[in-house]
Amino acid sequence: MTQGVIAEPIKVDSALVTKRKKGILAQLWRDRVARTALCVLFCFYLCAALADFFAPYSMEFGDTNIGNAPATLIHIYDDNGDLCAPYVLQVAQENNLETYQQTFTELPDKKFPIKLFIKAEPYKLLGFIPTDIHLFGVGEPARLFILGADMNGRDNFSRLFFGAQKSLTIGFLGLLIAFPIGILYGGISGYLGGAIDNLMMRFAEAVMSIPSFYLLIGLAAVLPTGMTGVQRFALITVILSFIGWSPLARVIRGMVLRIREEEFVQSARAVGLPEFQNIIKHVLPQTASYVIVAATLQVPTFILSESSLSLIGLGIQQPDASWGNMLKAAMDQPTELLNQPWLIAPGFLIFATILCFNSIGDVLRDVLDPQLQGRT
Amino acid sequence: MSLPVYIFKRMLQALPLLFVISVLAFTMLMISPVDPLATMKANPSVSAAAIKAEEERLGLNKPAPERYAIWLANTLQGNLGMSSTGGSIAHRLFTCAGNTLLLNVFTFTFVWLIALPAGVYAAVHRGKFIDKLFGIITSTGMSMPTFLMCFLLLMLALATGILPIGGMTSPNFDDMDKLHQMLDIGHHLIMPVCVLTFIQLAGIQRQVRSNLLDVLRADYVRTARAKGVDETRVIYKHALRNAVNPLITLLGFEFASLLSGAAITEMVLGYPGLGFLTLGAVLTKDINLVMASLMMGASMLILGNLLADVLLKITDPRISID
Amino acid sequence: MGKIVRGNSTSAPASTANDPKPKILFPDPGPRKLVVDKDGNEMWQGRGEVGKFGRALRLAEFGAGPKTFNCWDASDATSHGIGLIQNESLVDYDPWSGKPIPRLAKSFEVSKDGRTITFVLRKGLKWSDGHALNADDVVFTYGKLVKEGFGASSARDTLSVEGDYPQVNKVDDLTVTFTFKAPFAPFLYNLNSVAVAPKHILEPLTKRPQEEFHKFWDINTDPKTLVGSGPFILDRYIVGQRYELKRNPYFSIVDKEGQRLPYLDKISVEIVPDQNTEIMKFLGGEVDLLDVKTVRGQDASMLKHKEAQLGFKLYNLGPDDGTIFLLLNMARRKNPKTGKYFVDPVKQEWFNNKDFRWALSHAINRRGVINNVLKGVGYPLYTVETPASLYFDKDLKPIEYSLDKANALLTRAGFVKKDGVLYDAKGNVVEFSLTTNSGNGIRDAVCIMLKEDFKKLGIKVNYQPIEFNTMINRIHQSLEFEGVMMGLTGSRFEPYGGANIWKSNARMHNIDCRQSIDETEPYLKDVRPWEKEIDRSLDGAANTYDEAQRHKLYNRFSEIIYDEQALIFIYTNVMLTAARNDVGNYRPTPYGSVYYTPKGSMYNLEEIYIKGAH
Repeated sequence: MTQGVIAEPIKVDSALVTKRKKGILAQLWRDRVARTALCVLFCFYLCAALADFFAPYSMEFGDTNIGNAPATLIHIYDDNGDLCAPYVLQVAQENNLETYQQTFTELPDKKFPIKLFIKAEPYKLLGFIPTDIHLFGVGEPARLFILGADMNGRDNFSRLFFGAQKSLTIGFLGLLIAFPIGILYGGISGYLGGAIDNLMMRFAEAVMSIPSFYLLIGLAAVLPTGMTGVQRFALITVILSFIGWSPLARVIRGMVLRIREEEFVQSARAVGLPEFQNIIKHVLPQTASYVIVAATLQVPTFILSESSLSLIGLGIQQPDASWGNMLKAAMDQPTELLNQPWLIAPGFLIFATILCFNSIGDVLRDVLDPQLQGRT
Repeated sequence: MSLPVYIFKRMLQALPLLFVISVLAFTMLMISPVDPLATMKANPSVSAAAIKAEEERLGLNKPAPERYAIWLANTLQGNLGMSSTGGSIAHRLFTCAGNTLLLNVFTFTFVWLIALPAGVYAAVHRGKFIDKLFGIITSTGMSMPTFLMCFLLLMLALATGILPIGGMTSPNFDDMDKLHQMLDIGHHLIMPVCVLTFIQLAGIQRQVRSNLLDVLRADYVRTARAKGVDETRVIYKHALRNAVNPLITLLGFEFASLLSGAAITEMVLGYPGLGFLTLGAVLTKDINLVMASLMMGASMLILGNLLADVLLKITDPRISID
Repeated sequence: MGKIVRGNSTSAPASTANDPKPKILFPDPGPRKLVVDKDGNEMWQGRGEVGKFGRALRLAEFGAGPKTFNCWDASDATSHGIGLIQNESLVDYDPWSGKPIPRLAKSFEVSKDGRTITFVLRKGLKWSDGHALNADDVVFTYGKLVKEGFGASSARDTLSVEGDYPQVNKVDDLTVTFTFKAPFAPFLYNLNSVAVAPKHILEPLTKRPQEEFHKFWDINTDPKTLVGSGPFILDRYIVGQRYELKRNPYFSIVDKEGQRLPYLDKISVEIVPDQNTEIMKFLGGEVDLLDVKTVRGQDASMLKHKEAQLGFKLYNLGPDDGTIFLLLNMARRKNPKTGKYFVDPVKQEWFNNKDFRWALSHAINRRGVINNVLKGVGYPLYTVETPASLYFDKDLKPIEYSLDKANALLTRAGFVKKDGVLYDAKGNVVEFSLTTNSGNGIRDAVCIMLKEDFKKLGIKVNYQPIEFNTMINRIHQSLEFEGVMMGLTGSRFEPYGGANIWKSNARMHNIDCRQSIDETEPYLKDVRPWEKEIDRSLDGAANTYDEAQRHKLYNRFSEIIYDEQALIFIYTNVMLTAARNDVGNYRPTPYGSVYYTPKGSMYNLEEIYIKGAH
């Protein structure tokens, strides 16, 4: 699954790199595409962090009287035909067993206005501030299902927010595990050289040589069962990072080999600076620009891998929400999709996220590698 | 060192690599909690004795190292064994690998046929509307999840009825003459090829474009221009050749990912290729089949890397591999 | 399918409840006639209309494809399905009454003491290679092949009880007797799934080691070597993609004009990854018929909607015989190897308390589950025999959805509810784990609804889906589970098929499995009185051919399970099939839809034809 090719950056003078770094964010901002991408991602992550606030309902809340409910109609005209504050009506499920049709009828008796900052289910904001205020919602027993409800009467719109929490963070978490391992592994291998280097690289090659998707399924199938959602999430993150570290290790090792022979490193060695300090001081900053770009471009791969896993049923399981398993639920009923196309929303959100990361990564690459200036 | 020696040396190095991979894969399979007999056990009409007999037949009671040794011995003799579903693995493996290969050959051809001219055009007309348009299309292509695109196409097929809904051949395939058979397969290949081409195209087009831009900035190109050489000649005679060189190594990597890249597409569209086969095997813990397809996939990858390195060595004598 | 409709001022939802009875969509054409041709060959005459010869029927199946073409070695549904099209059995089921009727046999008779069954074969039967089919084949099949356990030994298990495999004797070229020590009534029904084998081909294999039998006629076989007695024989198999069956010219059923059936030249079955693809292919016109178990409740509305537009018809055959239920682990024992209880003793008290189980049963909103998960297309279920069964006990009343009744029962059993949390008489919080197999959207949805329903009683349910394999392992081997929500197939003809689950020493006695993987033999010292009565009822019903007696005993069987709520049943599906309008002679009936697919609801596969120009 080669989604993009990361070209090896050309060797760069360390002083220039430091000067460039100060202007990175500014340069990113200047590029229109990157700017949009940054804003979109910021919105996504904000929504994920404050999911409980933005979402009218919690992840598990379900109104089992109206499973499969379609998107709630928001009325803006009152009975006389005049404009008024938006409101919704309660809905009842009806099943006709002759025609097998399931319809939802609005009950016109009582109007339920949409309220802002409504008091609803309690939760802990950011994990520790107890509150019960949601951005918007309607009073009981009516429901505001912006994208309809699933089989259990759970709000699809709300679950998108909670799904975002899993799908968006898994990318970074995977990174936090894969990259340090990759960098250290590659760095050590390159620095020590010789037989150890050979052995370490052979092992990395072995891991890289198993086609990544098969490795993914194989590892996911190995997961012990009966774990809680959180445990499973953690283990899947670990699995994903298992795939990410080896290409990085290989590249880092190559760079370390090259840089090691650089004059300024050799002169430092001649002067008597200890080996380890050598690495940290000279070698790592050189690899930094490569790592930043690689990281930005690796996050979407992780997000995609998680969705692929969920699609086969090996990823994050219901009742936890993730974009991947919400998509799977949608794809289990393909004929419904022709009538309720918004059920593929998770797929498009994944697409949008990946697009943003790729765009930022592109621009970063141009910014950090001066030889490539003037390309766009 | 000379090329044949280099190739030989690399192939020798590949052997321990394959060995390590096989051990890794086997270990994964052994740890997996999947039980190949679960369906049998859940069936009320199957007695305990029948289940025991099946266990014996599949050798599920033996300790793991012994099972690995048996597998290794068999494979080295060329006997890939029987799948737990009762078929010869070699036959299934090669048929499915062949199907995936077919899919990828088409994808490959289309990708390069489109990406090369598109990349060149974009580079030459840098900054103009077409370049920007290509930029957007390729961005989309690189970011589009494979399953999403497959799925959208499936919906399209369902809604319009022009394209067949997955699979590789129609029910009356065997009654057709050779020409119609080829057309039928072609008809079924449209969807998976479209998906894979669109996605891979993006990366290649960008690479062609950026390589060409690099080269166009190089000194010798400036010299040629200064000398008054016609621009077209500059591009096509001098620049392009050098820009394409690095892409040759990509050929090798493409070959390597030939077999694994199409896995999701095959799954969603029901195309009977290697990815489809392997996934099914992993989920049912069909050990012989999983090992065989993993080893095949790994071998292809290693061969591909080797090919890439060899091509690089041939085309650019400046670079020394070792 | 999920449209919002502006309604009037009624606030209560009006669900048109469907009468849970098997639906007879076509009138009974009367018994089959036996026709004798000029050569003296005895052939059954089809009861459908006269059709046209030629063309192919296109079907689809999801899964991994067949594992063997050896019908007698098949242990999975797909292989069995192909095997039972290629090969015929002595008896079949009457599609309208569900009673056993002769198929390869001309007639059969049960002796007065019920111990001997005599089959008389039809004259002139031939195998697809022209060889004669007679009593020798029958004796070989049941007296040697099945008896000695060649192939799948489940065949032998369904035809006999332990220690009483019948004696198979040839009386003459066309007559065979089966003699049991004690009457075994399920024999006739189960005989249908064990076809008659060709002695002239398989006999040599019985002189060799059993492993060779497994390899014979496996999926790498050249189809030209396959021999069978059924209407179609395998012609081609493309691994993982499709298999095709072609007409058997020696098939011995004729139509009303005396022409040899089948009408179809070919049946082509495509192998697809999942149910959705199958349905999409049907809608796309690539498949002619969707058989039972393919059309789910949720698909019904969409299919009904497209009937007129795409030229097909959706058939509702009434309730299915499968069951979906909640299983609670009632084991009281300790694992002898580890010394730990299988179930926490605190929870044992709850699960073994009948009032507790009844309370849970009253608290489940079965209609709600069906409405949400199946879009209303399903039937609530209260005991083991579904309304589809010949032995359905009509006297058992539906269990009302009533939180009041549930709470009253809990109070009576000593449970106390405080601040929305339920405590047992000893002060423990009532909490247990519920699981089902992961990756199944429907089961997942049901479990979530159960969790919500029980929450209203103050019970905390910890729901965590696990892999199918692990679940099976926990239920049958390690016995480490508390609550499981799952489903099983059933039988509409023979409740004895559930013996493997309901008898106390059965392998799959999931309510209280008596032999875990760590034990070498079943522990039967703590069998409950009602379990013993179930054993007696089942065995009693199996040991007699007296229908009145059988009904009485099977009713008792259903009644005990109902009384004890041994398994808390939730719902059963509706049997739906869909066929394009040009599929002729397709007249599905509830009792004629019990075959493994691809035969499925096509009990008269040989009479199916494609209308229109040929």
